Amino acid sequence: MAASSSLIFITGGVRSGKSSFAERLATEFADKTGGKLTYIATGVPSDREMKLRIEKHQRDRLAKGSIWRTLEQPVNIGDLASKISENDIILLDCVTTLLNNQLFVANRNLDESDLAAVKERIQTGIMELRNRAKTVIVVSNEVLHEPIFHDHFILMYGKLLGQIHQFLVNLADQAYLVEAGIPIMMKGMRQ
Amino acid sequence: MHFITGGAFNGKKAWVKKTYRVTKDDPWISAYKNDLIPINLNGIDRNLIILEGAEQWIKKLTEIHNSTKSRELWNHYLNQWSSWEKEKPERQIVVIGTDITKGIVPLEAENRLWRDVTGWAFQDLAAKSDKIDVIWYGMNQSIK
Repeated sequence: MAASSSLIFITGGVRSGKSSFAERLATEFADKTGGKLTYIATGVPSDREMKLRIEKHQRDRLAKGSIWRTLEQPVNIGDLASKISENDIILLDCVTTLLNNQLFVANRNLDESDLAAVKERIQTGIMELRNRAKTVIVVSNEVLHEPIFHDHFILMYGKLLGQIHQFLVNLADQAYLVEAGIPIMMKGMRQ
Repeated sequence: MHFITGGAFNGKKAWVKKTYRVTKDDPWISAYKNDLIPINLNGIDRNLIILEGAEQWIKKLTEIHNSTKSRELWNHYLNQWSSWEKEKPERQIVVIGTDITKGIVPLEAENRLWRDVTGWAFQDLAAKSDKIDVIWYGMNQSIK
């Protein structure tokens, strides 16, 4: 494990500014430590809207003048471990997309053990990256504050996502909830 | 009364178990196990009672009654629970309710009713609680 490897968890609602905050935090770390910025893109450009969103995110990162290495990895993010070194500052955006991809790659009805395996794969994948990098910043979404009991798939998805979030917050050095562009620190201390 | 809320699958149950050192002997009445809403707690001679799934009990109320009547009944139950708790100083009631109020407006009228009444009912519960904690992925934020 890198000497000061750390994990930061960031979540918030749709368009809450969580990605911008995560990018800002990552570049701050990079400036301070001389670390290298790596962006892990989980989105698959499946349609025009998705493609445009990805392009917007790419332009935003470029416009801010920082140099990012982009690694595309829609599933099995642990596979990236060999490409990560102890100087890397990694931004993973976002867990919900990763969970979607990981669930749909199976493309069949999933039983309890499949679901446990999906969760395990995401959690260990993130920890493998954390163990090799200087810092891993993980972004996710707040989607569990509405009824999710009416549909079996949504219930199962919500349960997995909630469990993954609990796992990440528990291990995180810092955790933030972003509300309307304002990050609220829920755990840890700003360095 | 201690009201515990937060989103679904945020670790509310685990937090309550840990914080109150809940044992198998403590009555844990849960809408998720299809337990009915307890109308009165008389006869339960324990110090700690946990009531889980408030939003599901509220849903049941709204399936039968309009919003005014649902809320009236809800407050009646809250008062009953409170008076049980006040009988002995060592008694504690913990009510767990999942926050279902922050999504997109539901398409179906019955789900809009459920969501509205849940919001109001949680305000009533909060007003009658001595303590409130919001659980966010296992971490608590005390708001009262």
